[in-house]
Formats: sequence, C-alpha cells, structure tokens
Amino acid sequence: MTDNKVEEFVGRRGRGWNIVAYVVLSLASAIAIFPLIWLGMTAFKDRITAFALPPVWIFTPTFESFKVLIGFRHMELFMLNSAIVALGSTGFSIGVGVFCAYALARFRFRGRESIAFWILSNRMIPPLALALPLFILFQKFHWLDTRRGLIFLYTAMQLPFVVWILRGYFEDIPYELEEAAMVDGDSWFSAFRKVTLPLAGPAIAATAIFVLILSWNEFPFALILTGATSRTMPPAAVTFMVESNIHWNEIGAACLFIALPMVVFVMIVQKQFVRGLTMGMVRE
Amino acid sequence: MAFILRKRNAKRQEEKAAGGGFYRSGFFPWLLMMPTLAVLGLIGLFPFGYAIYLAGRKLILSKMYLPNPFVGLANFQFLMQDPTFIHALFITLVITLEAVFIEFWLGLGLATLAQRNIRGKGFFRVCLLVPMAITPVVTGLMWRFMLYPGAGLIPYYGKQLANLFGRETFPELLSVNYALQTIVAVDVWQWTPFMFLIFLAGLASIPPEPYEAARIDGASPWFIFRSVTLPLLRPMILIAILIRTMDAFRIFDKVFVLTSGGPGDATETLAYYLYRSGFKFFHASRGAAIALIALVIIVGFSFLFVKLLRKEAVIR
Repeated sequence: MTDNKVEEFVGRRGRGWNIVAYVVLSLASAIAIFPLIWLGMTAFKDRITAFALPPVWIFTPTFESFKVLIGFRHMELFMLNSAIVALGSTGFSIGVGVFCAYALARFRFRGRESIAFWILSNRMIPPLALALPLFILFQKFHWLDTRRGLIFLYTAMQLPFVVWILRGYFEDIPYELEEAAMVDGDSWFSAFRKVTLPLAGPAIAATAIFVLILSWNEFPFALILTGATSRTMPPAAVTFMVESNIHWNEIGAACLFIALPMVVFVMIVQKQFVRGLTMGMVRE
Repeated sequence: MAFILRKRNAKRQEEKAAGGGFYRSGFFPWLLMMPTLAVLGLIGLFPFGYAIYLAGRKLILSKMYLPNPFVGLANFQFLMQDPTFIHALFITLVITLEAVFIEFWLGLGLATLAQRNIRGKGFFRVCLLVPMAITPVVTGLMWRFMLYPGAGLIPYYGKQLANLFGRETFPELLSVNYALQTIVAVDVWQWTPFMFLIFLAGLASIPPEPYEAARIDGASPWFIFRSVTLPLLRPMILIAILIRTMDAFRIFDKVFVLTSGGPGDATETLAYYLYRSGFKFFHASRGAAIALIALVIIVGFSFLFVKLLRKEAVIR
C-alpha cells in the first residue's frame, strides 16, 4: 500500500527526487550524529589534545578523564544518585499510575473526562513555576538535598505522562477477556493481574523506559533542590564546567556517561517513540 | 497503519466503557485513582495555591525571619514596569516562535523526503533519533564545547571557511549579536527530529486514494501537497506544534548551560529570569509572580490549541 502511494506521489520524476532525498537525508543524519561522535572522541583525549587547535582527529585514546572523574570528582556518587532517583521515580509512577490509567480507560463514572484533563493540565504547568513553592515545601519537610524528595517530586512530575499514555494502551485491550475471567470466578484483581496486565506488559515497559529517560535527564529541579549529597548527573556535569577550569575532556566523559544510556534506551523504544512523545495523542 | 487522535468522538467513548455492570461502579475507580490524585494534589495543586499566595506577599527567601506583608498586586505591578522582565518575555517569544517555525518546516521537508521508498530509510530514521535522545544539559555542554572561542571546532573551521571566501573573521556565535540565534539553532538541532518523526507517521497514515484522484485530475505536485497532504496532516501538525510550543516556552537547560542568559541579558528567557529572581536574589514573591504570568500565557495558548484540536475530525 505504501509502495503504491509513494510511486504515485513520485510519479515520473521519481529518480531525480530520490537522489535529492538521499543527499538531504545523509546530510541531516550527519549533522544529527556528529556532535555525539565528537563528544565521544573528546572524552578519550587528554587535556591538551582536547583543547588543541586545529582540532585533533587522530589520537591515542586515554582513560585519563575517566580516572579523574571517578577518583577525584566522585562521579560514581552522582551516577548512583541519578540511578536511584530515576529507577525509584519510574517504579513509583508506574506502580501508582497504572491503576489510575486503568480506571480512566475502563470505568464509566461522572467527571471522568474532567479528571483526565486535570491530570494532563498538571503537565502543562512550566516546572519552574512550581520551583519556589516546592523549595519552601521541601525546606519545611527537610527534604532538601535528599534522594527521597527528588524521587517523590519526579514521581509526581511523570504521573500525568504515565496516566495518559497507559490509558490509551488500556483502551486498546478488549475488556471482554477480563470480564470472562471474572465470570469464571476470579476476583477483579486476579483477573486484572492474569489477563490485562500481561497484555499491557510491553506497553508498560515502553512507558517505564520513557519515564526513566525523563527522570534521568531532568535538570532545573535537580539544580535547585539538591546539594552535595544527592546531586544527580546533569547538575553535576554543569558544576564540573565551573569548577574544573573547563577541562573539556572530563566534561566530555561525564556527558558521555549521561547521554549514552539514554541513546540506547531510545533505540529500544523506537517503535513506541512517536506515541510516547505525544503522550499517546498520536498512535502509530 | 491508521492513527487516531486521543480525543476521539463521544460515541467511541461510550462503546469503550460500556462493558458489564462492573465497569459502571461509582466507587471503585475512585479507589484506583486515589494514590495518583493524592500525589498530584500534594505536588501539583498545593504548590500552585502556594505560588498564588506568595505572589501577593513580599517574601525573601534569605530573610525568612522578616514579616511577609500582604502587598496585593504590587509584584505584578513591579514586573509590568520592569524592563528586564519585558525583555525576558520578548526573548522567550522570539525563541519559541523562531524555533517552532524552523523545526516545523524542516521536519516536514525531511519527512516528505524520507517517506519515499528508498533504501536505508531505517538508518536515516535512527540517525535522526539521536539528537532527541540526548539530555538537554548534555546538548548544551556539547555545543558550548564546539562553539568555544579558542578551542571549539566551529569557530576554527568557520574561520577557515570565511578566509576561503575572502573574509577576515568568522562571527563569534556566543557573542551579544549572535547568542540568541545560536540558542535557536541548538534547539532546532535537538527538536527538528521530533517534528520529523510525527510527520513521518502522519504521512504514512494517509491513504493512497486522494493522491490517485488528484493525479487523475492532473494536479501538480505542489498543488497535491497543499490541498491533499497538508489538510490530512492537520491534526498531527496541531499536536506537534502544541507540544513543541509548550516546551520551547519554558526553555531553561540550554540557556543555563550555553550562555547563562548572557552576554548581558541578551538571552535571558522567562524561565532563566525566574530562576535568577528566585534563587539568586531570593525574591520568592517576585519569582512566583513571574511564574504565574508565564503560566497564564502558556495555559491560554494550550487551551486555544486544544479547542482547535477538538474541532478536528477523527481520522482512522
């Protein structure tokens, strides 16, 4: 079907336009991936080659910057913080959000659409708008510079996303299967666990990866609400820039640590990416 | 590959939820939603109310022991007369409009090319996914490194290129005159793929019939694009623009890393100004007032857009 259409659209001028497409897309792809490659190269240079002009393209890789990062700048601590916060908030927001999404997808009750819209509207608020009240709130609860504070905050931040996207997936699963299980004498929960949850499994996994990426990447709140003990990677990388008299090879290595896992994850959820980005508004 | 908008028509909603009596229970769904609503109430609703409270007072974070008197709309009045605020608002609007505009056309163009039946399509798709996958802070750092005067490769090769064309100098891209455009360019680098992917999905979902009809009528490619492709892509276009605008309007990470709002205040966006007022000068009330103004603008915009979206026909 797609072939037909393309042929149709291309018409007789096909060949020429295909060459244009190749050239433009290759160029765009090169621009898209070059900075990451350059970053990777910088991470394996020593301090002098990283700064050298003209830019050095061929060099002997060293692990100097990684040694400094782990031995001297305690990056392993920030990595651990990032991992705990990202995994924790992913776990909580999925664990809590699944039920809400399910309720909004399956049940018929008054005010359903209003609740759904209210949940979404939480996502429209620019995060920095809540920064000051949250700062004061965290201060009162003694949550400043703790991982649990950040986990709780990220859980709340990602919930609208989780609920909206999973709601769409649950709607795609026919309720009849679940109903049949209940007729057979299962309780609601065991029907949900045995029938619906396995069917939604891949969707939930993809959503979890999305949440993981969003939490891992978060910057403004991590900057404001964490200090030395609970700092996550993104604000830590920025402080390297200030502290270290700009050793670009170290910053490059830190950036590589932050960015690479996420690139891998994005490649895993490629198929669900459009749906995820639009919070389920566009289904592929 | 049919796609549907999440906001589908009322009839389908009826069907979906029309299962047995169990799914009509009035109490059970609230039980299931309770934890979510509680968390969102605490982190969404409560701080929001507190922000309104703060905006009407004079509270300074570094001097919490001082009384914080009620000052009415004085904070808003101050902002309206504050040239820095007006400037930040202007900068934010420029970045948002410019970035979304360029990303839209670039993304649409690339998607139109990539939907051709060419080999290696999957490879191009994966390459174009990369910028979106990169943490915004890392994006900022990476480009700052490449643009760094005296060490980056862009000024270096840029100068060589300029010399080639007989010019002496290459503009310093992080200086007063160019910093804003540089931020826009970096944003375009990161988010054009977003538009690209959405439009690629949208183009794939358009059925072949309208194209056949248009061809039989002897329509030109440009005419087909304007009168078949664009209208059928409309819901996608609206969603993509809505989401990108919401995000671009609160741009902070890249500004923080690339320019810190500088040089001077050349790239100070609303979010950065808010950060500076609240967390550098500890003027919590003023920060809250800025936040509320930003919120009104963005919610107003989203509301208009969602209304537009609801009017759109559901495409299957």
